[in-house]
Amino acid sequence: MLDTNILLDALVYSNMLALLSLSLTLTIMTLKVANFAHGDLAIIGVYGAYTFLILAHVATYLTLPIAFLFGGLYALLNYVLVYSPMRRRGANFVMLMIASMAIDIATRSMLQMYADVLKLNFKVYSRAFIFNDVVFNIAGTRVRGLVLISTLSVVSLLAILYVLLMKTKFGVAMRAAIENPALAEVLGINVEKVYATSWFLAGGFAGVAGFFLPFRIPTSPDLGFIILLPIFAASILGGINSLSGAVIGGYIVGVSEILGTYLLSQPPINLSTAYRPAIPFAILILTLLLLPQGIASLWSRGE
Amino acid sequence: MINLFLLMVDIGTMYGIFLILASSMELEYGELGIPNFGKVMFFAAGAFTVGALAVRIGTWLAGITWEGEFKTKSILYSTLVSRYFASHPLDAIAVFLFTLFLASIMGAVLGIVASYPAIRLREDYLAITLIAAGELFRIFGRNYDPLIGGTMGVGVPDVLAWLPSGAKEAGYILLSLSFAAATWLILYRLSTSPYGRTLRAIRDEELAASTLGKDIVKYRMRVLALGSAMAAVAGVIYAFYMGSVLADDFNPLKTFLVVLMVVLGGSGNPFGTLVGVAVYILLDRTLAILKHYVVLPFDINYFAMFLFGVLLLLVLMYKPEGIIPERPLLTVRAKFCRREDGTPERKLCD
Repeated sequence: MLDTNILLDALVYSNMLALLSLSLTLTIMTLKVANFAHGDLAIIGVYGAYTFLILAHVATYLTLPIAFLFGGLYALLNYVLVYSPMRRRGANFVMLMIASMAIDIATRSMLQMYADVLKLNFKVYSRAFIFNDVVFNIAGTRVRGLVLISTLSVVSLLAILYVLLMKTKFGVAMRAAIENPALAEVLGINVEKVYATSWFLAGGFAGVAGFFLPFRIPTSPDLGFIILLPIFAASILGGINSLSGAVIGGYIVGVSEILGTYLLSQPPINLSTAYRPAIPFAILILTLLLLPQGIASLWSRGE
Repeated sequence: MINLFLLMVDIGTMYGIFLILASSMELEYGELGIPNFGKVMFFAAGAFTVGALAVRIGTWLAGITWEGEFKTKSILYSTLVSRYFASHPLDAIAVFLFTLFLASIMGAVLGIVASYPAIRLREDYLAITLIAAGELFRIFGRNYDPLIGGTMGVGVPDVLAWLPSGAKEAGYILLSLSFAAATWLILYRLSTSPYGRTLRAIRDEELAASTLGKDIVKYRMRVLALGSAMAAVAGVIYAFYMGSVLADDFNPLKTFLVVLMVVLGGSGNPFGTLVGVAVYILLDRTLAILKHYVVLPFDINYFAMFLFGVLLLLVLMYKPEGIIPERPLLTVRAKFCRREDGTPERKLCD
């Protein structure tokens, strides 16, 4: 009933979601802001990569670092220009949340304008565009590049983040700044710099996740809003303050969304695939009702 | 000349509809501090109720038998029902009042149900729950044809068809503005009452309020139910005024605009809401007129949305109190006193 293609698609989608929920969790942990513009960072990244592809005709996967850079820089810009000054002026959590909503609207309309300009100047598809995949031949089995590269990206980015947080001096400073900003400040840690770096990293991770979008589905400026619900569902399922929880949450939500949508659209139920967001929504609601501290509370002591 | 009249009708009616929405947001965010990021869902709840029921009840009252699919025939039948309403004003008013009554109950119930899973949690949990619920509601409306005709939309009979043209348009302004005035007065009365002081106490220091015996969850639930019912009323008037309901019209952009109006006008002050809605409509209409004179390499509607996004950011950063800031409440009426040099001074007299 299930063929491998669907399982592989679930893997790719979950890879993407894991990166996105991980990076959302990183921003929530540092600045304590629920960033409703987080999905847009992914789209900024992919539009950056796509522009580079149009200008320089290189292999698609070579533009992956561009997506990281664009996502990262845009997130950094958000932090430096909006969130950090607002926090200094004593804005509360809800005001930061509203600011992120305003950033979402501004970013999406900016991307829409950019898509118009792109179409006008280069005569290319600037909405609903797709990337063509390559197929690798590994020991006789044909593997889609997307499956391989998205998995490799997640593994290597997670490894890099782990080493950065656990093995370097900067990581110690970062964990201290997250744990207790005031105390960290007293000990001579530049909290502002640490937070800015974590925003850059989070944006970069989101940009990488966004880069994989056009291989799966036609990508448009508004996609960033559509993927917001699964990202939040994954992050909240993970416990909203746990990086490992966010990754696991990403895989749970991703796999259930793909498999669930597939199973519900088959006979005897024959539900329209348009109801797909209902699955992450159901996970979100169940988490809030049954385990509001998320799955991370199962293995870490309550703080 | 007729054009100017229609423009005034549009501005007046939309001002009323947005004022109802903004008043409900001001109650929830300005007074209680929880921004209802799913506002559009409750607005849609009102409009969907009208879309699903008005034409069906209308054909039943008029004794017309329905042939063909709801999706393809609703526009035709709503025209027939409007013609029937032209000679039967009482039936038209009954349909309006019935859908209004049902929609406000729908809004209140939906407000409680949609916020229930996250009402005890931090604001971001509640916000994403409400955003997602609103999106699912819209998706349901778009894909389930028997409700409001799916992607085709649904026709809504004209409940003021019995008025002569001219008076009819004025009727819609009057309808919209009178409901807006009533909603705003409810907000104002609540805001200046002990209930409003309790809400602001919860907003400013939840823990302190709960130590004084205030049941935070109960207050949140009641305010969300009331705010959602208000938004549903706005949806009913919107549906009847537009003459049709289309699911995709109810996207999260509407929620953003309402938040913009409340923050811009000054959250925490009901008078700020009056100003915020007016400023938004003024800006929106100005941009709409400018569209005819400016040529840009992109769709100017996106540019307008971009400007509104940036405007909200600037207000939040540099003038978070809005145009009319929140003032300490007067619990004792101030009198004019004389200073030493004899000039009047507005303060409490000894």
